[in-house]
Order: sequence, then C-alpha cells, then structure tokens
Amino acid sequence: MKKRKWFKLVSVLLAAVVIGTGCQGQAGNEQGEGKQSSTVQIDFWAAPNPTQQAFWKKMADRYMEEHKHVKIKVSPMPESPSSEAGIQSAIAAGNAPVLSENISRGFAAQLAESRAIVPMDQFDGFDDLLRKRQMETTISTWKFADGHQYVLPIYSNAMLFGWRIDLLKELGYNEPPKTYSEVLEVGKKLKEKYPDKFLWARADLAKPTWWARWFDFFMLYNAASNGTHFIDGNKLSADRDAGVKTLQFFADLSKNQLVLTRETKDPFENGTSVMVDLGPWTFPYWAEKFPEMKFNETYVLSMPPVPDGMDPAQAKTFADTKGLVIYASATKEQQQAAFDFVKWVYSDPQNDLEWLKETNLPPARDDLSTNEAFVSYFEENPQLKLYAENIPNALPPMDNAQMVEIQELIGKQALNPVVKGEKTPEKAWKDMEKAIDGVLK
Amino acid sequence: MNKHTAKVGWLLASPYLIYSAIFFLIPLFWALYLAFTNWNLISPEYETVGVQNFIDALFSPSVRAAFWVTYKFMLMFVPIVIAGSLILALIIHHLPRWKGLFAVGYFLPYLASGVASAIVVKGVISYNSPFNQFLRDVFGLDIDWLGSPTLAALVIVLMMAWKFVGYYALLFLSGLESIPKEVYEAAEIDGAVGWKRVWHVTIPMLYPSFYTVTILAVGLMFGIFTEPYVLTGGGPEYATHTWQLEIYNQAFEKLNAGYGTAVAIINSIVTFASIFIFRKLLEKWGGRHGWE
Repeated sequence: MKKRKWFKLVSVLLAAVVIGTGCQGQAGNEQGEGKQSSTVQIDFWAAPNPTQQAFWKKMADRYMEEHKHVKIKVSPMPESPSSEAGIQSAIAAGNAPVLSENISRGFAAQLAESRAIVPMDQFDGFDDLLRKRQMETTISTWKFADGHQYVLPIYSNAMLFGWRIDLLKELGYNEPPKTYSEVLEVGKKLKEKYPDKFLWARADLAKPTWWARWFDFFMLYNAASNGTHFIDGNKLSADRDAGVKTLQFFADLSKNQLVLTRETKDPFENGTSVMVDLGPWTFPYWAEKFPEMKFNETYVLSMPPVPDGMDPAQAKTFADTKGLVIYASATKEQQQAAFDFVKWVYSDPQNDLEWLKETNLPPARDDLSTNEAFVSYFEENPQLKLYAENIPNALPPMDNAQMVEIQELIGKQALNPVVKGEKTPEKAWKDMEKAIDGVLK
Repeated sequence: MNKHTAKVGWLLASPYLIYSAIFFLIPLFWALYLAFTNWNLISPEYETVGVQNFIDALFSPSVRAAFWVTYKFMLMFVPIVIAGSLILALIIHHLPRWKGLFAVGYFLPYLASGVASAIVVKGVISYNSPFNQFLRDVFGLDIDWLGSPTLAALVIVLMMAWKFVGYYALLFLSGLESIPKEVYEAAEIDGAVGWKRVWHVTIPMLYPSFYTVTILAVGLMFGIFTEPYVLTGGGPEYATHTWQLEIYNQAFEKLNAGYGTAVAIINSIVTFASIFIFRKLLEKWGGRHGWE
C-alpha cells in the first residue's frame, strides 16, 4: 500500500508541475484573447534607459486616458547581452512585444528579411502621419529595397565633427577646415606647434568593430559621395571614386601622424586631439564632467570635410538614428492599435518637444530647425541647432541583413589596413569590394 | 537500500532532476538540433543543412584563431595563476594572525564585475594615462598595450590572473592547512628544510589543490568573454579572439544562430578533450607521489 501511495504522490506532483506550467501559458493566451473583444492590449518595449521609458510611459498614460479600449504596457526591452539579442530571443520564444523602439535600420533589415516585423506603410494613415510630423524628406532615405518602410524613425543624430576652436585659433584659424586639403593643412600646422597633439584620436580606426564604421568611414564616405547608397538591395552600389578618395584621406592622415589609434581617455576634452566625431549624447556628459567645454568658446561643430573640388555646403553625413517597429507576431487588431498610438503621439509637435527635452535626441523631423515649437529650445541649446538643421542631410545605416558582416569587411579589408599603412587605398577598396560581393552573392 | 528508500531518494531529487531537464537537457538536445540548421531564431523558415555548419566552422579563420588563442592564453595564464596563488597562499599560511582577513581580501577581485575591471584597466593603459605618461617621460617608452598582439593577450591574461589569484589561493590555503605537522617533522629529521621542504613535501602534498586549480584554470580559458569584449573586441588581428566571442558574434551580432551553435558544440568538445588530457597528465604526476 505504501508503495502505491508514494507512486501516486510523485505522479500527482509531476502532473501538477507539467499541467500547471502548461495551463499558465494557456491561461495567458485565453486572457489575451478574451481581452481582444473589449480591450486591445499592447506590449511596448522602450529603449533600456530611464529617460526614454519615462517619455513613453507618459505618452501611453495620456493615450489611455483618451482611448479607454486600449491598454499599453510600457516596459524596458531586455538587453542581455544586447537589446538586439533580447528581441531575437523574445521572437524565438514567442514573447515578442507588439511595438518596440530602439531599432536601427540595419537590425530592422534583419528582422524584415525574417518577416518578424510588418511594413509601416501598410497601415491606413501612414502618409498622413508623415505629413503631420513633417518627416517626408527624412524618412525617404529609410525606404527599404523592397519599397516598404519598416521603421518609423524617432530620432536622428546627424553625426558632426567637433573641433577645438580654442586650439584652431592658436593655429590661426577662425573656423574648422571644410575640405581634405584644408584639414591636412591644419594638421601640418598643429604638428609644427604641438608635436604631441593629434588631429583625431580614434582607436576604432585600427579595429574591425562593425558599428564603429558608422562614426568614421560612413561619415566621410557619405560626405564624399553626396549620399550615394553603399548597398542597394543586395548589390554593392558604392561610389568607387568617392570611396577611394575617402580611404586616401585616411591614409594621408595616418601617414602624417595626425591620427592616434590608441585607446585614449577623453582626448578631445583634454586637448590631445583637435577634432572628434560627435553626437549630441555627449553634451550631458560634458555638462557634468567637463563644464569648461563651451560651445563657440572651446569647441564648434561642422559637417564632415569633403574632397577638394566638392562643395562643402552640400555635404552629407551619417545618421545615428533609431525608430519604432511593429511585430508580425501581434494580431492585426493589436498592430493597428499600435500604429494608431504612434500616429497620435507624432501628430502633435509638442510631444516631440517633450521627447527632445527629456532625451536630448533630435526628433526625426524635416522642420526641426524651423518649426516654432522648437525655437526656444534651440535658443537655450544652440549646440544642438546644427544637428537639427542637418537631419535631412544624414543617411541612416544600410538596409541589408548582412550589415554586420559587410561593415566588418569595410574595416578588415579597407579602413584598418589603410590606416596601418598596409594597403594602398585602391587595393584596399578592390579587396573590400571582392569580399563584400562574396557575402552578398 | 530497499525500494522504499530508493523512491524517497528519487522524490527528494526530483526538483533538481526536473530543473536539470528543463534548463540543461532540453536545451542541450535543442542545441544539437539547431547546429544542423541555418535558422537565425527569428525567421519562420529555415532548412536543415547537415554538417555544413561544422565544416564551415572548421575552415573558418576566426574559429581557428579562437582555438589557438585559447591555448596561447592557457600557456600564459595557468603558470602565472598557479605560481601567484601558491605564493599568496604560502604567505597567508605563514602569517602569525589575521589569516582569514587577508584571505578574504585577496578573494575580493574575484567578486568584481568583469566589465568594471576591464574599464578600469582600459583607463590605466590608455595613451594619456598617468602610467603611460610616466613611461614616456621617464623611460622614453611609448607602449601600445592593446595594439600589439602579444601585449594585448598579456594584458588580458594578467587581468584574469589578478581576478583569480585570490580565489585559487584559498584552495591552496585549505590544502596547506590540511598537511599534518608530523609530515614536516619527519621530513626535517630526514634533512628536508627550506626550499627542499617546499619542493619535496609541500608541493606533492598539495596535489589535490593543484589538481583542482589546474582543471579550473584550464576550463576557464574556454569561457573567456568579457575582458576581450570590452578591451580589444578580439583584436588586433584575432590575437585575443576567444571561443565565446566567436559564438556571441555569430549568434547575436550576425544572427547565424545555427552556425553559432555548431561552434559552441565544437568548443565544448575541445574543452572536454583538453580537460581530459590535463586530468590524465595530473593523475600521472600525482601517481608518482603516491596519490591514487
């Protein structure tokens, strides 16, 4: 009898564990389905930083007050080991949200190729949203090779170069150089006066780190090529002449010992280097750690330099930009409700102003520097004005699912060996083309 | 043991068995399946590709680099960490008082976050750090710590040794504490004093500690991730590219989950084989000193 009792007890315990686990998921689904008839539930993953979460929480609360049938749950996206990996795992496990922000165009390309996200332009009112938010020019560069828009850009950091104007003035310049030969001339004078200083301190120039290419190669390539797409669909479409000129510029900087490719702590701030690739996220850091960094006194900003003979006023740059996507695993009703929420947020420029104040990240709007709603903010923060003005001149990352591999090859085959003096720009470009073609075939 | 006792045993072990099945066994079989596919974890469509992922991995320069880099790290790390932790344990063992305090103090780096330590090290060896400034000003030495393949590997190894020396010293310390005084007294009568005593008595008597520390240190080399991820990204020229970096890059950066899993399986086979060889070598050494 005792044996039977034990057997029964173990069986009941195991059954309880198994059934309990199964029922938990089922109950969750039933609950979700039940709610669909009356309330639409939207899980929204915000970027894993407090300011962005606070903004979206506020927006969701306001929206829910006006739209009682929608329930939006804002939570930070998991970032273990990265936010992309967190999303990947969630999709694999069937726990993807309905809507998330913090998606780059490159990662969106990977998601779109796997049909994990839906095109935004398929929703009713998409064109109306673009018009209301004044973002038609900015989003035009986001169009994917299949003609769809999978991401709605939230913010766009048109990457600029910072220049130490105090040091430039010591060298006899009142403004930053705008062409390659002007930059090299500044470098020459810098070395004559300060042999220990460098034009640009950037350890990543010697590393194949894929994302680092956004902040060196693509800033200069986009400027030199007038924004010619590097990849078009599944084809390398880069402007060869502009690419070789860009690499030649890096080679010249390196040959003249104007770049420092060693790990250096705050080189621009402490005057070890005169120029730096600069995004607006740096300013809060400076305000806290380097209050002596004052716009127009210590530093100024400029678009990337261009090859000689090009008009610097027409220069393009790289856009460090991320946006919103809607996931394919959500129901049609949830997808439409998520889009309606997004449209509601971006129909009022005051919400973009609130975002700007909260995060310091420039909203992806064509009219950011001209819209009355933002004027007073830019008067108080003049260092952000040039970022706002150049949003339409900034190109987002490529829309190819092999972006990581391609950008790694730009480093390995072209930029790194050119900076190290191991290859000529022509050979480096040729090797890079061959390697990328191998990946794209 | 009667059947009743056996059932109680199974019942008591069942939570752990269920836990292991859910979190180890099922993922293991799942990984074995995944390694034979080209799935990226997010696409609804994927194909089984046979052993192609394994063939690609075996011919991949980055996987080959990870293989050799692990042994290069091992060659530097194992002697450094064993010598360091043994010396530390001997010093603590001979302290007249506060042994526990010192043992815990040296153990603290083990608890430090790998990311935080790597960022501190990055600061210390940066071009404009006071340390490098001093080397340049006083000795005229301008050292590119992370730009040279050998130095970059050495920096990572030393950093890891700093982290683990205190932990392994505790293992040696417990070994030292358990050596009976009588053994030393007998050795002294036979004329073994000073270094002779350390060499012929202490070290052979510490065999169980050596065994544990060596196996732990060898196993550790196959799991390095944080330090090269933060400091070098695996460079320069793959000089610090480890198995875990390769798996992470493939599975999470390039979304080649199937291929990444194949690399992880190869890594586990290589780890198992290496530890097996080290075990056999250590057992041979222990056998010579009477340890069975």
